Formats: sequence, structure tokens, C-alpha cells
Amino acid sequence: MSLSALWAMWELELRRLRHDRLELYTRAVQPLLWIGVFGPIMGSIRAIPTGGVPYTSFITPGVLIQSTTFVSIFYGLTIVWERESGILKKLLVTPASRASLVVGRAMAAGVRAIFQALVIVPIALLVGVRFYPNPLYLLGALGVIFLSSGGFAALSMLVASFLKTRERFMGIGQALTFPLFFASNALYPVAMMPRALQVFAQVNPMSYVVDAVRSLTITGNVSQLGLDLLAILAFDLVMFAIASVSFRRIIE
Amino acid sequence: MELAVEAKQLVKVYGQGVRALDGVDLSVEQGKTFALLGPNGAGKTTLMRIFTTQIRPTSGEARVCGLDVVRDGAKVRKIIGYVPQEMSVWTDLSGYENLLIYAKIYGIPRGTRARLLDEVLSKLGMKGAAKALVRTYSGGMIRRLEIASALLIRPKVLFLDEPTIGLDPSARKAVWMELGKFKEGDGVTIFFNTHYMDEADLYAEEIGIINEGKVVTVGTAAELKRSVGGEIITLSIAGNPFVPERLRSLESVEDVILAEEEVRVVVKDAEAALPRVLEGLRQDGVSVVRAAITKPTLDDVFLKYAGTRFEAGGRVGEVRQMRRMIRRG
Ligand SMILES: Nc1ncnc2c1ncn2[C@@H]1O[C@H](COP(=O)(O)OP(=O)(O)OP(=O)(O)O)[C@@H](O)[C@H]1O
Ligand SMILES: [Mg+2]
Repeated sequence: MSLSALWAMWELELRRLRHDRLELYTRAVQPLLWIGVFGPIMGSIRAIPTGGVPYTSFITPGVLIQSTTFVSIFYGLTIVWERESGILKKLLVTPASRASLVVGRAMAAGVRAIFQALVIVPIALLVGVRFYPNPLYLLGALGVIFLSSGGFAALSMLVASFLKTRERFMGIGQALTFPLFFASNALYPVAMMPRALQVFAQVNPMSYVVDAVRSLTITGNVSQLGLDLLAILAFDLVMFAIASVSFRRIIE
Repeated sequence: MELAVEAKQLVKVYGQGVRALDGVDLSVEQGKTFALLGPNGAGKTTLMRIFTTQIRPTSGEARVCGLDVVRDGAKVRKIIGYVPQEMSVWTDLSGYENLLIYAKIYGIPRGTRARLLDEVLSKLGMKGAAKALVRTYSGGMIRRLEIASALLIRPKVLFLDEPTIGLDPSARKAVWMELGKFKEGDGVTIFFNTHYMDEADLYAEEIGIINEGKVVTVGTAAELKRSVGGEIITLSIAGNPFVPERLRSLESVEDVILAEEEVRVVVKDAEAALPRVLEGLRQDGVSVVRAAITKPTLDDVFLKYAGTRFEAGGRVGEVRQMRRMIRRG
């Protein structure tokens, strides 16, 4: 695993963002609707037990994670594009190992996700969401977003290695993100779900990410954080491993 | 001397049963500029992708500088440069940034990086455009940038897959001039694929012709053409054309054909034979009005060894290639 290649992938993403940030803003529209419209309206009927947290604040971490996960899942599209052009072929012929390419690109999605989060947070503040006032916790939340985005991006690279074309990928991207989102604790506590869905929510990595970010940014109750981090780490490692193995497929 | 590139009985069958390479034998000496010439779908890209360790051969052996591409893939990647057929730069970054990122991926140490990039950019004559996004570059500039980035690590062998595809003649020339500059300094072996006969003719020291997954013949352009048959001197003669016996008896002359107003003299080397032929005719008092030399082309070479005309598959291919180029933008 060559570290210089890893860093280079992150730098690549940062430089891309510097040249074109439009996507960050257009992708902030949907979260704005969730926390600016959906949150206040649902909150006003007080139908969902949130443990004393205002409903909009309750869903903010979930909306944030949905949005950054979307960024990661659609990162596979970049890979599909790079496959159609010669970039992937060229990268595979550099001395960098395949694993470092996969992990590097996956974590590069994390870089993008952090900036996506940084665009959404001010919106949440404007809407009146009160974040837990501990800067270290907020930094920690960004770290969690970075880490988890890598796993989701690797998942999307895995999908990309099977689909190989942009058109097919577009559909799957949507079909992947929304189930993860709705079958998680993003919008309502898991306990409110039907039994079968609860089981899925238990193994849904997004539940753990939302839980970690919610505890760090809203409630400040970090008693479950260790478990969440462990789950996220395990998810990342498994995804990195499978994506690295199947990466051969993408260029064949 | 160690061979730069070597293939023995190389076979590649793709998943769907496509036999892209059907027993390729090939060797290229170090320092040579080698062209693999073949029509669309001949297997050029497949062979190059095996040499550059992207895909594994189904059977047979492939080596780069003595290293087996399957067993020593990691070592091979350290000593080769590669420019794929399709575009391989990020269009949403500047030219400089592309080189910088590749330099970092290659692990070129910080201390030498800035100087190296500066050197490469001035060699390219692209210092002015370095800060502009690649999206704004012409096809030729993009190709030159790609070549420069493949040469960052000073490879022993440079693999170029159709380096000038879709470029106009002046842009093609610029690409080859740049390659010449790099080659002079480093003595790198260049292995390139092409389906342009004139490109192979002009720039390659050695040409291999590939058709339907087989390398059918290898040699210098001159050797290949000579192997097809003689060159022809066509003479228009004042007055009644007749064939002096003296002409037939000249040692360099293989055949003399009388056709209408013309005399066709078949020789091995037309430039060398022409003065002697003219001198022979003059001695017999025959005055020549016009002399023309016709030489076999690589197309004739292809016809002889592959059994079909080169053009047949080429046209459709060209259109497909162009589309690919356009999609790059
Ligand atoms: N990934 C692949 N999967 C299946 N078949 C393939 C694949 N790549 C190439 N082929 C087939 O293998 C044969 C050789 O293709 P290849 O790309 O090596 O030819 P080429 O000489 O490079 O042609 P071109 O001028 O189009 O670049 C063709 O019949 C092609 O359709
Ligand atoms: Mg090709």
C-alpha cells in the first residue's frame, strides 16, 4: 500500500473541488428541503418520539448522512467515467497497488463528503438547529463522515465494476441510497419500524453512522459511540477488501 | 542484449470466447521504436494491455525487459510508461495539476518533483497553457501532455496505444517531435500501436504487422516492402517503344515489361538502378522523356502477409475511434 498514491488521490479530489464547486451547492438543495420543510412540519405534529430533541434537530444528522452517502454512492459514477476514458487503465499501470487505488479513491469520496457536510451545516444553523456546543465533537463527526463515506464509495465502486455503464449506474445509485436511508434511524427511531425492517436497520451501516453523528452533534451522549465506530470500521474494511478484489473486473 | 519486449505463443481469449490473440511471437530490442500495425480489431490493444500488466494472457509468455508480466507485474510497472488509446487525463484539472498528481502517484520525491515538472513543461512548450484546464486543450496538446506524464518516471519502455489517433497531420507531427526529444535524452524503447500505415512507415525503425490476433511479419519498412517484390521504374520513351536486350542483361534488372507507350523495368532498388538503366538506354540511342518510380507500400505488404486489403476494416474503425475521441471532451 503506497501512501503517496493515497494522498495523491485525496489531493486530486480537493483540486477538482477547487475548480468546480457547483455540485456541492446543487446537492444541498435536497437536504435544505428535508430540514427546512419536512422537519418543521413533521415536528409540529409531534408524532415521533425523539427523546426530547426537536424533530428537525433529530433528523439533521440523518439528512446530513443521507446527503454525504449520496455523494459517495455516486462516486462510482466517476469511476465508470474513468473506465470509459483511459484513466483507470493508466492508473492500473502505475506502480501503485490496486488496493491503494481502491482505498485512495474511496477515501477521496470522503474528502468530497466532508465538503458537502460543510455546505449543509450552515443551512441547518439558519433553520435553527442547535448543535451540541463542543468543537471537538463536531470535528469528530466530520471524521465519522469521512470514514464512513469511504465504505459507501467502495460499495459503489463494487457496483460499478459489475454495471460498467453510466446509464445503468444512475438507476442503481438511487435504488441503493434511498433504502439505506429509509431503513435506518435517520428519520425515526428504529423501534417504530415494522419488525422485518428493524432487522435490516440493525445491519444497515447507515444506522450506525447516523447514530454516531447524532450523538456527536446533537445529543452529546456518546455512550454508544465505540460500538458505532467499530461497526463503521468493519463495514469499511469489508467493503475495501471486496472492492479491491473485484476491481480487476472493471477493466476486463 | 536484453530484449525490451518479448512474447512467446501468446494467446488471449476473452470471456465471451473472443480469441483476440492467437499465438503471438514477437521480440523488440532495447532502444528501438517499434510499430505494431494492424487494422481495427486486430488485437493491438489486447497485446499492449498484456505487456502493461492490465490483463493476463490465457496462455503463452510475455516479458518486458526480461521480467514476466504475470509473475513480476509490480516490477514491470516500475519501468514502463503507458498512454492508453483513450484519453487518460482529468479534464477538470489543469495540465500542471495532472502532471503533479501523476508524479505523486508514481511516488516521485518532493525534492525533485518541481524541477522535473518544470523541465517537462518547458520541453512540451506548454508552460503558458499549464495553468489552463485540460478541457480547453486541443487533442494534440492532450496527447502530448499524456506522453509527458508517462515519461515522468523515465521508463525503459514506453507503450503508446494509437498515439496520434484522430489528430490532424500537423498535430501528429508535433507529437512525434516531442517523442523524438524525449527519446534522444533517455534512449527509451518505444512500442506503439497504430492503424496508420504512413505513421508506421515514417516513425518506426521496425514494424510488426498484426492481423486477426497473429503477428504475420516483422521487419523494417524497407525490408517489408522489398519482400513484397521489386520496385518498378516506368519509362516513357520517345518514338517507338522497344526493349533493348542490353536492358534485360543489366544485373540489377529483374524483368522488363512493354506496355503501350511505356517500358516498365522491375528492379530491387529503383534509386540505385535508375542511373544504370538510363545509361544503358542512352548507349542504344533511346531517349527517355519521363521516368517514374513506383514502390510497394505497406498496404501491399499487408496484402501479401494477411491475405486481405488493409483498408477493409479500417473505415468503420476510424469512425468509432473518432467518436471515442469526441466523447473524451
Ligand atoms: N474487454 C474485451 N472483452 C471482450 N472482447 C474484447 C475486449 N477487448 C477487445 N475485445 C475483442 O478482441 C478483439 C481485439 O480487440 P483489440 O481492442 O485488441 O483490437 P485493436 O487492434 O486494438 O483494435 P482497435 O483499432 O479498435 O483499437 C476484437 O474482436 C474485440 O472486439
Ligand atoms: Mg486498440
